[in-house]
Amino acid sequence: MNGDDVLIQARNLVKDYPMGDEVYHALRGVDLTVKRGEFLAIMGPSGSGKSTLLHLLGCLDTPTSGEYLLAGTPVHTLTADALAELRNREIGFIFQMFFLLPRSSALENVELPLIYAKVPPAERHQMALEALQFLKLETHAHHKPNQLSGGQRQQIAIARALVNKPSLIMADEPTGNLDSATSDKIMAQLSELNAMGNTLILVTHEPDVAAYAPRQVRIRDGKIVSDERVKKP
Amino acid sequence: MTAAALDKKSIYGFWGTLMELFRIALRAIWASKMRSFLTVLGIIIGVLAVVAVVSIMQGVFQSFLGRFEALGGDTLFIEPNYRLYKDYSEAVKRLKLTYSDAQAVAQDVPQVKEICAILNRQDAISFHGHHDTTQVWGTGDSFASMNSFTPEYGRFLAPMDVAARRKVCVLGHEVLDKLALSDDCVGQEIQIGHGTFQIVGVLQKKGGSVFGNQDDAVFIPLSTAILQYGQEAADSLLIQVQIRDPKLMDAAIERISAVLRRQHGLKFGQQDDFRTVTQDEILKQIKEFSSISTLVVGAIVGITLIVGGIGIMNIMLVSVTERTREIGIRMAVGAKRAHILYQFLIESVTLSTLGGVLGLVLGWGVAHLTVAILHHTVAESFPPAYVPVWVMFLSLGFAAFTGAVFGVYPAVKASRLDPIEALRYE
Ligand SMILES: Nc1ncnc2c1ncn2[C@@H]1O[C@H](COP(=O)(O)OP(=O)(O)OP(=O)(O)O)[C@@H](O)[C@H]1O
Ligand SMILES: [Mg+2]
Repeated sequence: MNGDDVLIQARNLVKDYPMGDEVYHALRGVDLTVKRGEFLAIMGPSGSGKSTLLHLLGCLDTPTSGEYLLAGTPVHTLTADALAELRNREIGFIFQMFFLLPRSSALENVELPLIYAKVPPAERHQMALEALQFLKLETHAHHKPNQLSGGQRQQIAIARALVNKPSLIMADEPTGNLDSATSDKIMAQLSELNAMGNTLILVTHEPDVAAYAPRQVRIRDGKIVSDERVKKP
Repeated sequence: MTAAALDKKSIYGFWGTLMELFRIALRAIWASKMRSFLTVLGIIIGVLAVVAVVSIMQGVFQSFLGRFEALGGDTLFIEPNYRLYKDYSEAVKRLKLTYSDAQAVAQDVPQVKEICAILNRQDAISFHGHHDTTQVWGTGDSFASMNSFTPEYGRFLAPMDVAARRKVCVLGHEVLDKLALSDDCVGQEIQIGHGTFQIVGVLQKKGGSVFGNQDDAVFIPLSTAILQYGQEAADSLLIQVQIRDPKLMDAAIERISAVLRRQHGLKFGQQDDFRTVTQDEILKQIKEFSSISTLVVGAIVGITLIVGGIGIMNIMLVSVTERTREIGIRMAVGAKRAHILYQFLIESVTLSTLGGVLGLVLGWGVAHLTVAILHHTVAESFPPAYVPVWVMFLSLGFAAFTGAVFGVYPAVKASRLDPIEALRYE
């Protein structure tokens, strides 16, 4: 295996949160290597630091100490604007709460990353429509989020995450607000994305959901306690 | 992405992004119309007030300017030098400018083309039970030609009227209405003060002139006026002089001064007890006054806009807080700080500029409405409002500037948010 295949290389990541006079250690030294095309589930109890880790890996935040290389880029040294550009080009996010802009249509929500990537309107519409088509939601392109079901909203968010063809898709409890049937549908679509070559990191505490991922990382009190590759059934 | 797409992307670049941010701003403003309106109410009222006041004022100034410009550069006035005395009534008693002064100027100043002495009084007029007041001008035949007054019916005053001290009068057009006279009133008699005068002519409608509203005026022979209003009136006349060529103005003034000093027996070193006023001086004074009052209004508006700006800042701060989640989402998908900063800055500038436009339109409307009302009630000759182009640009510029200045702090605050904290915000 050559070095180009390594997408994520995190060494001794530490994240401290000041809590009054004291310091809360959310991450206490995480080492993680992820190759391109992997599908990884991060599991662990509530408050163990899953989201914190995902935010660091997703360039939404910077570590208190430690090193993080994303496709060779030393993320821990970057400025806020450089992080924004990296998120825009390389990363797609999917959140538990969907986080769609309420006043914008589904299509406009999917277009959002492309606006900041300076893609001209005509191409932007085309790319967003293609992303919606992938999720079979093109018929709902002009609906506002409040005219869509929870599952549909999360699908819009998935379309938004993949529209800029990122290296990495991050999902923080993407099915946390959905019933199990919808949950399965979403996970099937995410697996399909991974099968198409997208690298996927998923945070969940539901074993059923984690079961979709061939690699499962367990985290407790800000430390990785296990990292196992499971044979797919 | 293909090479062609990349090429397009670089062309789209900066302006495309700016347009995009503008679109986002318009949408946010439109999404909460009522709040946006209330937010910029301060700006709207500020701009409305300035546009209304300035355009009414400018209308008045323009009409004044027009009147004096119509005189031409060859006209000058001589009046008693009232500034010699602190007290105006004392000045009227002490100073003299008489008909014989006018005659002396006419004879001894070679540059003079035409001259007329003028006596002005406000007096009661009546006709068959209709009573009113108007301006009475005692003058002569040259007055009409010097000020281009043309009779609509009958004639203006003639040299014989003055020589014979005839009790005749020429009416301004509005006087017909005031006394309910018909168009064919020439030959009839009206009361002016305690005298009875025969109407010999009615002037065409003219509106304002140097002598105020000449439609609301009656003209009688100067000699008759002196009889009627007495010695004091006869001693403080106004003399209007037209010289042969505007280039001779300085020479004429010098000569007039010498003649009048001789007439009044002034000794060397004594101050002139008369004053010459040229069109140029009057125009300069009007313009000076106009710019001073505009400055005063401008200062008031500045204060209003600061108040309006604080309103904008207040609401923008609330808006940033309310839209923390939105800011977080935008940052998560790749918005840089500058994107967020400009998004909110453009929003506040757009908001305040829209307020400015609304204020401009309303101010224009209020100005014209006010003038229309004044027209129908107080003064028929009230000049129309005049909205100078610079007022539009200035008020819009000020509104935009206010939005920019007071929008900076909320926008900076928005752009400094941490993406994660913004997303977590409930
Ligand atoms: N901004 C912050 N300030 C202080 N403490 C924080 C902050 N963010 C997270 N924490 C703390 O860090 C710890 C890890 O938080 P994190 O959100 O990563 O947990 P999690 O594993 O995602 O939990 P959950 O499954 O409930 O989402 C928690 O105890 C949390 O209280
Ligand atoms: Mg979490």
